Amino acid sequence: MKKFLAVLLSAIMVLSMAVTANASSLAGTYDITVWVAAEIVDLTKQQIDNYNKTNEHGIVFNATVEAVSEADAGTNMVTDVEAGGDLYCFAQDQFARLVQAGALAKLGVNAGKTVAEANAAGVVAAATSGDTLYAYPMTADNGYFMYYDKSVVAEDHIDSMEAIIADCEAAQKYFAFEMNTSAWYNASFFFATGCTSNWTTDDEGKFVSVRDTFNSPEGLIAVKGMKKLVDSPFHLSSSAADSFASNAAVLVTGMWAYSDIEKILGDNMGVTDLPSFEVDGTSYHLGSFNGCKLMGVKPQVDPVRAAALHQLAQYLTGEQCQMERFAERAWGPSNLNAQASDAVQANPGLVALNTQSPYSVPQGQIHGSWWDIAKVISDDVKAATDEAGLQAALDNYYNKIDALFALDTSALLFVGAWNGWNNADAEPTYYFQGASLTLDVPESDYMGGRIVNPGDWGTDKGFAQVVVGKELVKDLGADNPDNNIVFVEPGNYTITLTGSDITIVKN
Amino acid sequence: MKKYSDLEYLKLSKGKKRLYKLQSFFCAIPQKILALFLGLWNIIKGCCLKVRDEALDIYSTFVHGDWKTKVSFLVMGFGCLARGQILRGLLFLLFEVVFIGYMFIAGGYWLSMLPSLGKVGPSEEYNVIFDTYVTTYNDNSFKILLYGVLTIFFIIAFVYTWRLNVKQNKLAEQILSSGKKLRSGKDDLKSLVDDQFHKTLLSLPLIGILVFTVLPIVFMILVAFTNYDGTHDGYYNNLFTWVGLTNFNTMLSWTANTGAGTQSYAATFGEVLSWTLMWAFFATFSNYFLGMFVAMAINKKGIKLKKLWRTILVLTIAIPQFISLLYVSKMFAKNGIINGFLMSMGWIDEALPFWDKASWARITVIIINIWIGIPHLMLIATGILMNIPQDLYESARIDGANAWQQYSKITLPYMLFVTGPYLLTSFTGNMNNFNVIYLLTGGAPTNPAASSAAGTVGYTDLLITWLFKITTGAESQYYLASVVGILVFVVVSLISLVVYNVLPSIKNEEDFQ
Amino acid sequence: MTQNEMNQKTSGPVKQHMGLRASRMLSNSAIYVLLIAISIIWLIPFVCIVLQSFRVESTWQVGYVIPQQWGLDNYRNLFNTDFPRWYVNTFISALATAVLQTIIVLCMSYTLSRFRFKMRKPLMRFMLILGMFPGMLTMIILYRVLKDLGLTQQNSVPGLILVYVASSGMGYYVSKGFFDTIPKSLDEAARVDGATRFQVLKKIILPLSKPIVIYTILTAFMAPWGDFVFARYIAFGSSAGSNVAVGLYNWLNKDQIAKYYTTFCAGGVMVAIPVTVLFMCLQKYYVEGVTGGAVKG
Repeated sequence: MKKFLAVLLSAIMVLSMAVTANASSLAGTYDITVWVAAEIVDLTKQQIDNYNKTNEHGIVFNATVEAVSEADAGTNMVTDVEAGGDLYCFAQDQFARLVQAGALAKLGVNAGKTVAEANAAGVVAAATSGDTLYAYPMTADNGYFMYYDKSVVAEDHIDSMEAIIADCEAAQKYFAFEMNTSAWYNASFFFATGCTSNWTTDDEGKFVSVRDTFNSPEGLIAVKGMKKLVDSPFHLSSSAADSFASNAAVLVTGMWAYSDIEKILGDNMGVTDLPSFEVDGTSYHLGSFNGCKLMGVKPQVDPVRAAALHQLAQYLTGEQCQMERFAERAWGPSNLNAQASDAVQANPGLVALNTQSPYSVPQGQIHGSWWDIAKVISDDVKAATDEAGLQAALDNYYNKIDALFALDTSALLFVGAWNGWNNADAEPTYYFQGASLTLDVPESDYMGGRIVNPGDWGTDKGFAQVVVGKELVKDLGADNPDNNIVFVEPGNYTITLTGSDITIVKN
Repeated sequence: MKKYSDLEYLKLSKGKKRLYKLQSFFCAIPQKILALFLGLWNIIKGCCLKVRDEALDIYSTFVHGDWKTKVSFLVMGFGCLARGQILRGLLFLLFEVVFIGYMFIAGGYWLSMLPSLGKVGPSEEYNVIFDTYVTTYNDNSFKILLYGVLTIFFIIAFVYTWRLNVKQNKLAEQILSSGKKLRSGKDDLKSLVDDQFHKTLLSLPLIGILVFTVLPIVFMILVAFTNYDGTHDGYYNNLFTWVGLTNFNTMLSWTANTGAGTQSYAATFGEVLSWTLMWAFFATFSNYFLGMFVAMAINKKGIKLKKLWRTILVLTIAIPQFISLLYVSKMFAKNGIINGFLMSMGWIDEALPFWDKASWARITVIIINIWIGIPHLMLIATGILMNIPQDLYESARIDGANAWQQYSKITLPYMLFVTGPYLLTSFTGNMNNFNVIYLLTGGAPTNPAASSAAGTVGYTDLLITWLFKITTGAESQYYLASVVGILVFVVVSLISLVVYNVLPSIKNEEDFQ
Repeated sequence: MTQNEMNQKTSGPVKQHMGLRASRMLSNSAIYVLLIAISIIWLIPFVCIVLQSFRVESTWQVGYVIPQQWGLDNYRNLFNTDFPRWYVNTFISALATAVLQTIIVLCMSYTLSRFRFKMRKPLMRFMLILGMFPGMLTMIILYRVLKDLGLTQQNSVPGLILVYVASSGMGYYVSKGFFDTIPKSLDEAARVDGATRFQVLKKIILPLSKPIVIYTILTAFMAPWGDFVFARYIAFGSSAGSNVAVGLYNWLNKDQIAKYYTTFCAGGVMVAIPVTVLFMCLQKYYVEGVTGGAVKG
């Protein structure tokens, strides 16, 4: 009936073209399933009841709220979209995977605008693939900071990782910082030295390029710092709140553990930003990921139901509901108004998160496999005995990222700096796939930079010289023994790959 | 090698006898492989001949049969009905009607889509009025594959039934022409609890196995030839399709895992397989001998409270593993009770890395598995030990044999003989022992060199847990899991084949009766 | 105990030197020490779980074993969650599985042990080969089949029973081994007297098969209590369709463990009780079944 009505309505309205949607057409009762984290199940039930009472469209939701952890929600949705919750919460790292799996319905144009204006920019970016908004931001507190036991770690030691480790070892208590089981945490060391791993997606959530600098001199400093931590016999790879109950004195984790740790440690609980570590006399402040939790709407076949669900999602992630979650569970809001409120500003956990925020990196879209690839760095680092071993850990990481794109034979790899190949300073690698890329080509004595197909790695196929706006010229000559594209002039170029054609235009 | 006659063989010393047996086993391997291929060829040849015979038989039935038989070729069960076997005739007819109806309504569609696995994927449209995106779902590759296979099963069943129907006619004609009476429906029903009783008993279990074991396995084997994964789920995002042998190429192209290099699935498979075999070996035999030892200790004369000891041990069987193993896993953690206890006693300065180092973790899982496995073995061994005739020991003792000699000459050979098949099943069972590994370590510690985009691989990962990780990993690569599954099957069946050929007690099941 | 007495009787007449007796005393006391050590090792985890379930001062994992404050709070807390529902779900599926699986397994094993028909050997070989495929793989497809039948999520209990029972015919080995030990001459004598096959089964075989029937019921009853992988897949996020293993397992998730750890222990004890009690009562048959059948594979 509803569907028929919708078809009828759309027929009439498309004809008249000027009439706007009649909100009362959404009135009705909907049976829905909502998946949220266990701790907010009851709260969400209340909030939906509130919505049923207060909404102006006459919508009544008959909702089953299930406790499905954010990690499970992603996996379940990918396994079977149809059986998934109509609304479901998930952590940001699942986002691209869910878009690709066809498990997220795009936001409507108006809803998209409203959400983008109301929430923090980094959080909105996290819910965006290509140019499209796919989910509703719920929190902006998915970052981590340091909890510590004041009776073990001295107040003036909390800024130095080395001092904290020494305190822990002296007290035979653990420094809990998840390393070999989560890239989300161990990336902290890389961010400390300024390494980045930036990925871009297209509109379908597919990854088209990455610029990754973990395998660099800075990366080497980062793993040296990491080695200091993982080599300590009192390092524990954990982010669980109850580590404090079993002999930990320091724990790096996020807001979600706040109330539990408060119960365990009582007055001895201290919260602060992450410490710094020292390598070769320079001090580096540990970085962190700064992510968020999102709420998604499952794709629907019926426009009326879809519209109603989007209304509810918008309500549940709106200012009021975010503040309620903050009040009850201390979930840090993503809504700008809510963030500005006094209560939020005063929460010690969120203060620590704020102190950490200058060193944090917004968690954009990251390839699902990256988490598996990056988390093992710490195992390699622990096993390494010298600097060569540490470098090998980074090489291992680098090769796996490489292989990730090599699997797709239509991709191109840009290796080295344009016109800067073989220069002493390490330069980023560009991976590139079915899209366009803008590069700054520096002036250089050495005419370097090369373009290769993944399959041709290391082979010598002749050369290509690119003159601005002209075709690739192969067989440049024997004096340049590499598969190079040589830019005659430095400048900013846009390279577009369509099928096997490459167009290079100077901007 | 030199072949000995029986007499020569008996004259050999004990060591030489063993050597000779070993030699003959390995020398026989090429012959056995040859025999396998010959056997296969014979099976194929036999099948071809069978098909020819059947065709000829059908032809002659048609040519020589009466009109009732001829109509039966088109209308199944007609002959039976015309000759008064109402029940049989109706069943045949019903089956034909159902089959034709199904093929028209659904089967034809599934079958026609099977070669492509679907043509139109889902599409998304913007609805202006409600300012929402609406998805329209179209073909479903998963269902096409599933119901396509089911339809093929159904067609095979139909062909078989049709053939049965033709045979029935021929048989009926023969019986009638010899002047005997045909069996009535009542006779048929009666025979179901008597001389056809096995069909009655087997029908339900076999239907269950067909639908819930055979069909899924056939389906999963077929998945190995498609690109079914998280981003090609066949309905909600992209359709999946046939890709031929690509996945096997990916899986089997071998380059060594150097740690710093890229990793190949073949090398990872090799690493996981070698640990799986190692694990299965140690898990099986450590349990076997220790279980036997404990059983002997409890059964030793003069030991009191036998029932109490047994009951305590048996607790591990009675309590679900996900409770006990998860708890034990936490006990051994770096900050767990055991390390805490050892440290507070001052025996160690820093925590023992039970789960953090490859060799530690491997040894720890084997030891904890003893905790799980001994009770089973203890129960089995208790029963068998009671069955060993006591006079054997008596006479051995009179001959002055010590405890070790009694054990190695009487107990062990007897146990080994009786439990040979059990050892094999427990070996393959341990290879697929998901619970112990998943609950204790989840595969940890990670093996960075072997881990890849398809997911992390740990030093304690068995093939089965690796397979689980691939299916539930970031990319949900079902096709890869399916290839691994097929390889697991190949490994397990090879081991079983070898063992079956070596073990005497399996081959002759009738000997025991 | 009877075994013990028998041993003593048979060894009675043999003359024993004092030295021999002393050495036996020594070896027996060594065995006692060993058995006590084993018992302690075996019991520690269970004792710990039980102790944790009575701890009320905190709900998370702690570094000590003996509670500082004792109480039944955790057990009471179980009733504020969906635990009773999970318990009932599991109990129903365990009960139904026990009954149906026993029927299926007995049909299968009896037939394969007693009847000699054309397809018998190929059938056994076929099932042996089928059993070598890792069952884990078929989880995905079984889920989809059950979903098409409407037996997932809230309705997962009948779905689970269906899957447990349907493929149980493959596990006929143990009971076939048992039936093989019952002399065939019994059947033949009855057949000569004019009994049908069905009557042979009912009147002669079944009364002799008590141990194996109980063994099959027991193993079938125990399995659903521990299934957390497949049951979790079938329940697919629905708490109402979960069994105890899935529900309890979810409490160990990172975000829940600090609140539910001791409740988890209490739940574990509640799960262990019926299975353990049943097992203790029927242990004798279990041993007979397992030794009569398992060793023959």
